[in-house]
Amino acid sequence: MIANDPNNLKVVKEVNRPGILFALAQQPDSSRLFVGASDFKVHDFDVMADKPEVVEYSGHESYVTGVVLAGKFLVSGGYDGRLIWWNTETKQAIRSIHAHTRWIRSVAATPDGKYVVSVADDMVCRIWDANSGELVRDLYGHDSRTPHHFPSMLYACAVSPNGRYIATGDRVGKNIVWDLANGRQLAVLETPIMYTWDPKARIHSIGGVRSLAFSSDSRLLAVGGMGQVGNIDHLGGLARVEVFDWQKGERTHEFAGDEYNGLVERLAFAPQDQWLLAAGGDNAGFIKFFDLAASKLIKQDKAPMHVHDLVLNDDGSKIYAAGHGKAVVWELAGA
Amino acid sequence: MKQIINRRSFLGSTLASTAVLTAADMTVLDALQAPAVAEELKRQDKRVILFWLAGGASQLETWDPKPGRPTGGPYRAIQTNVPGIHISELMPKMSQRLQNTAIIRSLNTKIGDHGGGATLMHLGRRDESALQLPDLGAMIAREMGQIDSAVPDYVAFYTATEGRSGGTGQSGFLGARYAPMFLTTESKPADLSLPPGIEAVDHQTRADLRELLSNRFAQGRKSSSLGSHNEAYARVRGLMSSEQLFDISGEPQAIRDLYGPTLFGEQTLVARRLIEAGTPFVKVSRAWWDSHGQNFETHLELVTELDHVMSGLLDDLEQRGLLDNTLVITMSEFGRTPSINASLGRDHFASAWSVSLTGCGIKGGSVYGKSDEDGQTVADGEIGAAELFATIFHALGIDHEKEYYVGVRPVPLTEPGTHPLKDVIA
Repeated sequence: MIANDPNNLKVVKEVNRPGILFALAQQPDSSRLFVGASDFKVHDFDVMADKPEVVEYSGHESYVTGVVLAGKFLVSGGYDGRLIWWNTETKQAIRSIHAHTRWIRSVAATPDGKYVVSVADDMVCRIWDANSGELVRDLYGHDSRTPHHFPSMLYACAVSPNGRYIATGDRVGKNIVWDLANGRQLAVLETPIMYTWDPKARIHSIGGVRSLAFSSDSRLLAVGGMGQVGNIDHLGGLARVEVFDWQKGERTHEFAGDEYNGLVERLAFAPQDQWLLAAGGDNAGFIKFFDLAASKLIKQDKAPMHVHDLVLNDDGSKIYAAGHGKAVVWELAGA
Repeated sequence: MKQIINRRSFLGSTLASTAVLTAADMTVLDALQAPAVAEELKRQDKRVILFWLAGGASQLETWDPKPGRPTGGPYRAIQTNVPGIHISELMPKMSQRLQNTAIIRSLNTKIGDHGGGATLMHLGRRDESALQLPDLGAMIAREMGQIDSAVPDYVAFYTATEGRSGGTGQSGFLGARYAPMFLTTESKPADLSLPPGIEAVDHQTRADLRELLSNRFAQGRKSSSLGSHNEAYARVRGLMSSEQLFDISGEPQAIRDLYGPTLFGEQTLVARRLIEAGTPFVKVSRAWWDSHGQNFETHLELVTELDHVMSGLLDDLEQRGLLDNTLVITMSEFGRTPSINASLGRDHFASAWSVSLTGCGIKGGSVYGKSDEDGQTVADGEIGAAELFATIFHALGIDHEKEYYVGVRPVPLTEPGTHPLKDVIA
């Protein structure tokens, strides 16, 4: 039996929560989740409990859109521009800083837990010492305005499994890979199809790069968003994934989508890169698995909600997801 | 430069207008009485710029934020320069210019489809199948325009294609004379320029010849259609001479920066030039706000732009001494739902939404009405489109109870029994 065969995909738990769940971190080897939500709080609960008891962490003043475990801390980021360090044992905030001047869209951490990375609509990627909270480095490379004179947005960031690289992606489809050690730009990858500018019917835009993930060998970078949209009133573009051999600057895979519309909000590689997982949604949700070796879709299914974030467990047999009004657990282990 | 109107020119235009009215207007003769003339002169110096936020701008991300509530979304409310009044953080520039603005937070217009909502908010009432009614721009053009004006009375920009049919505007029974000069694909009117090879002096010579022949033909004849014919020629020549008003290339960079580089900003600068030259009503449509998905991103783009353009316009009007006589309106066909859908969008919502009125005749730094804590219903001061229109007319010195006559049928500017919002009037 394969422990993480996407064809065995099944929902094993759904927990309804009021509001919107934007971000998720999982306590290793447990079903304890930390979820950033639209009520400005981090929710701490055991998703597999019969009746999950939720402990709420208060401190943000807007949506909580990034949570990550870094060393012994949980770090959350929000649209209030704050990063807050939490002690998950005492459930108390131990540090709160004004990290960005605009919305923090995503937070990541290096595998060794030494650094926290944040991106925000001030179009800066910042590297933080996870232990001290000191700013280590600013990374500037994304334009603050779109070509059409509107504010741009810096949605996504990811750290490579070897801990050496950071990737960032913005509203107009520009992706940058950075050297974490010195802040140098190593590659710029363009995914312009993920940005729709409507110059005629509605005269504004939609889209952007919403998710990034490195393969386990840190060689490939997957980029997620949505294809071109006809009616930008809705998330009407096909869910889209592009994969790059970023050091060569080559696009190796393009999954333009077929059945599901909406944004690919989260990407994750299986532990040995057997597959690439993509999830997101429009008014509904989806989950997709791609076989990169064969360049094909393995499986796709409707999700119980628009998925905003997910975490794979260590062997890739469980998926913990957070989204619109729900937390969900999928299993891939099969019978 | 303020429009200068003297009594003689007013009387001339009013008398001329009696000959060409398409709808019998029983108030015209009354207007010749001295006190009414004085009022008319005062009224004709006033102007309106309407920002038509087509598709439905969110009240929660503009004038009526609900921070911290489940419906409030992620944006914070910020203190304005008027103590006690907060608006969305997406409008930092307007937050420091609220002393001339009245916010109305209690519209319940009940119509939640684009077409019906747009019609209602253009006409101030539901349309009729048997009689095509004039919209706000046409009524104001009729009330404040001058018959011999060298500039158009009613100009409407609507460049985006989505929702354009609902933003066209109509003069209804007032006739084509008050229909908007409707600009879509270009920000300047087509066919105003002289044809290639025709110089201005040639054009004038031809006009003089036409006038000579026309006057000779008119000798000994009595017909209202002759006056209308000559007026039409004069008006076309006037419009042709207004072509330069649509060309902003000569504006100083500092002025252009006030409005910003977007099409909406540029058209608003043209609107200012038009009202400065005497056009009574300009509608600048900014489409399309229909954010069923990604409401917060859409409003980050569009409210940021609105904040810059509107604050730039108000600064420019104030510096030119025009703000006291210019009413700036922001209005949509409806607002957006307090509930946030799974696409992080907001849907159509007509039950408790907001508009703003700034400048001429308005009690600035005020808020009228109130929605409940989640913005789901009107908690205080519920009004509809009719009350809003009555308030606009009142602010401009126009009697909202005035009646037009279509045959023997009186058609008041606003529905009978409607009252303006006294708390909003200066």
